[in-house]
Amino acid sequence: MADRTTTDTSTRHEELVSQTRPHPIWYLLVGIALLCVGFGAFCFWYQDHYHFITSGLRNLGFGGAPWGLHVGFYVIFVGVSFAGITVAAMARLFKVKELQPVTRLAELITITALISGSAAILADLGRPFDGVIKLPRYARPQSPFYGTFTMIGAGYLFSTLVFFFLAGRADAARMANQGPKLLRPLYRVWALGYSDSVQERHRHHITSYWLSLTIFPLLIIVQSTEGFIFGLQVGRPGWYSPLQPAAFVTLAGVSGTGVLIVVSLILRRLFSLRDKLPDSALRWLGNLMWVLAAIYLYFMLAEEMTATYAGPRSDRNVAHAIVTGVYAPYFWLTVVALGTCFVVPFYMFITKKSSITWLGVAASGGIIGAITKRLLIIVPSQTHGARIQFSSGSYTPSWVEFGFVVGLVGLMALLILLFTRFFPIVPDPELMKSDAYERAKKWPHDRLRITVTVAWALVSLSLLGVGLADSLRMWTGGNEIDPRIPYSPLLFAFGVMMMFCTAIVYEALPGSKSEDSHPEPSESVAPEETAA
Amino acid sequence: MITRRQLLRGGGASLAGVAALAAGLGSVVAAQKQKNATASTHRWGMVIDLDRCTACAACTVACRQENNIPTFGPEEKFDGAHIEWMSMYWDESADGAMPQLLPFPCQQCTDPPCVKVCPVGATYKGTDGITYQIWDRCIGCRYCMVACPYSRRSFNWTEPKWDAVSVQMLNPDVATRPAGVVEKCTFCHHRIKPLVEQAEMEKRPVRDEDCQQLTACAAACPADAIVFGDQNDPESKVSELNKSPRRFRVLEELDTGPNVVYLKRDKAE
Repeated sequence: MADRTTTDTSTRHEELVSQTRPHPIWYLLVGIALLCVGFGAFCFWYQDHYHFITSGLRNLGFGGAPWGLHVGFYVIFVGVSFAGITVAAMARLFKVKELQPVTRLAELITITALISGSAAILADLGRPFDGVIKLPRYARPQSPFYGTFTMIGAGYLFSTLVFFFLAGRADAARMANQGPKLLRPLYRVWALGYSDSVQERHRHHITSYWLSLTIFPLLIIVQSTEGFIFGLQVGRPGWYSPLQPAAFVTLAGVSGTGVLIVVSLILRRLFSLRDKLPDSALRWLGNLMWVLAAIYLYFMLAEEMTATYAGPRSDRNVAHAIVTGVYAPYFWLTVVALGTCFVVPFYMFITKKSSITWLGVAASGGIIGAITKRLLIIVPSQTHGARIQFSSGSYTPSWVEFGFVVGLVGLMALLILLFTRFFPIVPDPELMKSDAYERAKKWPHDRLRITVTVAWALVSLSLLGVGLADSLRMWTGGNEIDPRIPYSPLLFAFGVMMMFCTAIVYEALPGSKSEDSHPEPSESVAPEETAA
Repeated sequence: MITRRQLLRGGGASLAGVAALAAGLGSVVAAQKQKNATASTHRWGMVIDLDRCTACAACTVACRQENNIPTFGPEEKFDGAHIEWMSMYWDESADGAMPQLLPFPCQQCTDPPCVKVCPVGATYKGTDGITYQIWDRCIGCRYCMVACPYSRRSFNWTEPKWDAVSVQMLNPDVATRPAGVVEKCTFCHHRIKPLVEQAEMEKRPVRDEDCQQLTACAAACPADAIVFGDQNDPESKVSELNKSPRRFRVLEELDTGPNVVYLKRDKAE
């Protein structure tokens, strides 16, 4: 513990708590976010009460598009969520020290973006409250939407929550002593008995590694699923393409990194975190962003070239509407925005110059470009790509749709602002320096812990397997309309969530007597606690 | 702080609870009856002879009346919110000097893209060739609409409306659909079912002459351009017309296998 003893514990506590003291403008931003959420909630009520006729969506083939802004922003929010867990997993797996300070913020962005995204897709349902009941009851894995409802909710969001929860335990234990008195019970729950012993650090080291390793493929699956929602539709020119999943993953990376940079810049000002969220972290993210933007621009070129050079008539119609037709302003705005997102950080990379303001501009370009591009994927194919077209189509979102989207963005902002007010957004850097892992290798295995963890994982896998098999209606070759086990999709989702909880079981199961009485003394988290 | 012993004890109790729940679920599964998986011996299909069709649109009116499709004013009609199960499609790409009108119901694909994408099984493929829609189960995600290459599905953008006279004429055999669900042509399956049941009761095959004008659109067609029947019956008129050299199916290249077949206009006439 030589590394920790060199740091003055009380100074660390003070630094930890000082992160949550906001600039007065924080209150203004919270007020604006609350107003946005309120307006969004009103728009949702209005749409639910007066039905979808209040939206700009209409029947396909008769001049309308059944999918619009809601689906577009659902895809955008899920895309934004990419950055969070990727950054956290990269920081852990590849030991990228520059990214350590932004890991918690990145995870928070993932969680809040997925909450807003889930709200967007739920509000897009003609009968949203029915959807809440019927999806867990009847969901079919054969539909690409299944991934949306299970993998994103139960898998992606939940695994991020688990990661976020475990990574925050150490700071929560500190906040339980130093944070606002009213919230201390909550911090204690989050800390879940964490005492910052070497054994606990060792266990966290292991769980974070395995979670990161699990989350990476899950991340690719989830983002690809979004692409498959569109890419598998044979009857929809402009959508049906093997490029969709890969392109969705890439654009998700661009928008996610962009949001992470912009939010980091805002929080640096709001909470005086210039030292804690350093330029080096943002530059690293900028480099990741230009690489992804370059790949996506290449995808765009390939996409439009294929459609216009030799595509079938309906594909050409869509491509022409996008590049030179009614959607051209949005298309060229996308090109300029994504171009900025590539050129600026790339210029910084090759010249070794650094301008955080320009990086912010480039990140904003990435966000704008991702929003317009997602809408360009979704809308033109419906209005100009219908194979059987009864009349020419158009789509203009109504104020109700715009209002709801404003509410979703407000919700995301509000959750981030509130969290940063009550919890340190930059993890304690001391925790990253632990050498516990090396020393803990010498300790004997805690057999009971491993047995309980494995048993938990096996139960989870069983539930997951049974739930999935029954959701697939495997017993009757997929011919039955209903699953045999009521709510089997929910069983599957529950199994997935339980599986990720295995990490909590392993990490938070109280230590055995032999572990507790280990000669290696464990350092207490707070001087007050030690005194008590 | 909670001890390991307490935690394991609590965990054991929870596990027992889960096991009891699983046992309960098992009994529910055991109690659940096997669904009627008996495959239908019929495969319903429709042939539309464009040479006979006069584009009078009587089929669209009859369909609307039969299936309780709500009426719309001109504003809603041109707004794109109106619902049509049977439309008249102006096919500009038609083979010939003149563009032609196609009476255009749901194509009842053998491999329907709409069924593949439905997240809750609200639409499914019957063994009798019909793509069914369970109104009550539909959650209104409209995925089936964007997946259908024929654009033959409509969403209820608002509550259905009928005037005082129309409401008296609603067909009691067909449920009205609420706002927020997708609907489509069902080949008037409410007319097919009693016919099949009657034949089963009398222990005889379904007669082709009873089927030919069974659907509302076929019954209303003054030129007998629409013929309905069982494609599994080699003697049926539908099977006979299916052998015509004028036969084509819309967007055949997508390989969705529509059960609605068209006969091209005879240029010789």
